[in-house]
Amino acid sequence: MNSEPFSLFDALCIGITCITVCFIAAALLTIIIGGLPFIHQAILSPEILFSIRLSLTTSSISTLLCFVCAIPCAYALTHARMPLKRLCHLILELPLSIPYLVLGLCLLMLFSSDAGKWLRDVGIRVIFDPKGIILAQWIINIPFVIRLMYSAFSEIDRRLEYIAISLGATRWQCFRTITLPLTLNAIVMTAVLTWARAMGEFGATLMLAGVTRMKTETLPGSIYLNITTGDNGMAMAAAIMLLGISALTLLTASLLERKKHSHTGMRYT
Amino acid sequence: MDSPLIFQDFCLRKGSFQLKDISFSLHTREIFAILGKSGAGKTLLLESAAGFYSPHHGQILLYGHNIHSIPLAQRKIGFVYQDYALFPHMTAEKNIAYGLQMRHIPQKEQQYKVNEIAEILHIREILQQYPQTLSGGEKQRCALARALILRPSLLLMDEPFAALDPLTRKHLYAEITTIPERFDCSILFVTHDFQEAQQLAQRIGIIIAGRLTSIRKAEDLFSPCDDEDLNTFLTISPTH
Repeated sequence: MNSEPFSLFDALCIGITCITVCFIAAALLTIIIGGLPFIHQAILSPEILFSIRLSLTTSSISTLLCFVCAIPCAYALTHARMPLKRLCHLILELPLSIPYLVLGLCLLMLFSSDAGKWLRDVGIRVIFDPKGIILAQWIINIPFVIRLMYSAFSEIDRRLEYIAISLGATRWQCFRTITLPLTLNAIVMTAVLTWARAMGEFGATLMLAGVTRMKTETLPGSIYLNITTGDNGMAMAAAIMLLGISALTLLTASLLERKKHSHTGMRYT
Repeated sequence: MDSPLIFQDFCLRKGSFQLKDISFSLHTREIFAILGKSGAGKTLLLESAAGFYSPHHGQILLYGHNIHSIPLAQRKIGFVYQDYALFPHMTAEKNIAYGLQMRHIPQKEQQYKVNEIAEILHIREILQQYPQTLSGGEKQRCALARALILRPSLLLMDEPFAALDPLTRKHLYAEITTIPERFDCSILFVTHDFQEAQQLAQRIGIIIAGRLTSIRKAEDLFSPCDDEDLNTFLTISPTH
């Protein structure tokens, strides 16, 4: 391929790539250059520190909850005989195509209903509460995690599971000893990406939990509050932190992907 | 005593492919080969023998009982795939001991049985290795050990020697022929290799386009008959 003459089509593609790279880099650099002088101040700000802590906590909990639900869902969709499987699959993946703001509105309406009020009365408060942030992050991520787990479980060589069961494993033992270990790389990679998505979630959170200083203020919420109050420097400093976290997760995901490819000589994930 | 395995008018449709009116029975401690070209339905027939698919018509009896009425784990069937399908995240030892572990056999007994079968199949030195690091012959022996450690009544093998070099193949032929007596089991295997079928099996079933057209004794494999397709497959001249 390399010895082939340079074509106009190649030149066009390279040109478009360069323009895209320059545009994205310019946008990021604007934030980085503008925010760097304020980064020290941001690190010392109790408000920013609170928002980082809240984002880290809620993202970790919501990611965990996503897996608690997504692994059984993906397993049922790929391995179990269940009624209305296609419909269930469709409904589970539907939120992927719904704007996050709308998802947040759905949750707000649900938890404002009588059932939601009853939950609030028994102590499960979601609206304008940090628990609402977890729920908002969960709803935007659950279809994404289900989809990735679904493809991970679908790619497993089913003969290995047949053999495990024919050797005496129960479904649960087969899942624990064969299915889960063989999808471990996919699970870890999905967890990293899910966590990063949760860290950056804003739309659904805004609708359900709102953005109240030092209460429901996540890192994206902090950017929003600082922009609305005209403190662009602090907003950009918070954005740099979010960018750093995103870059780190992207790097982790890439390393995991490379590790996965170097280990999969056989067809097992 | 009931036959270990009986196919009765078995029909199965998978996509556009069909297994049609398969009928045969396996004798106790017999090695039976299913011989056919690629795409003839050999693997599908073997997987059907393990009870992986429900038939559209007919049935499969395992020691007189409909195979689908017996849970997969209780069928006492060992399965060896063409690429051996070893669990890639476990060492050879863990692969072999898997069935014992799932049956909650005490650790000491597991160790004893693994060592015993590893000794029989000459794989003691590779027990701590992962499947990716094993040669074709070692994988084959490891898969056999994993299946045989549970003393199955029936051993199913899908083109078990296809990926092996001639020398390893020759060594394994000798070992396979001793398995029925040694482990008190019958073997059903599929192959596209005429010589292999003749060398290992007592009887050979010939499958052409999803239909079991003939069952012959190994020594009569190349006897001509009236079936034109069969003669063409065996590349022999018709009787008249």
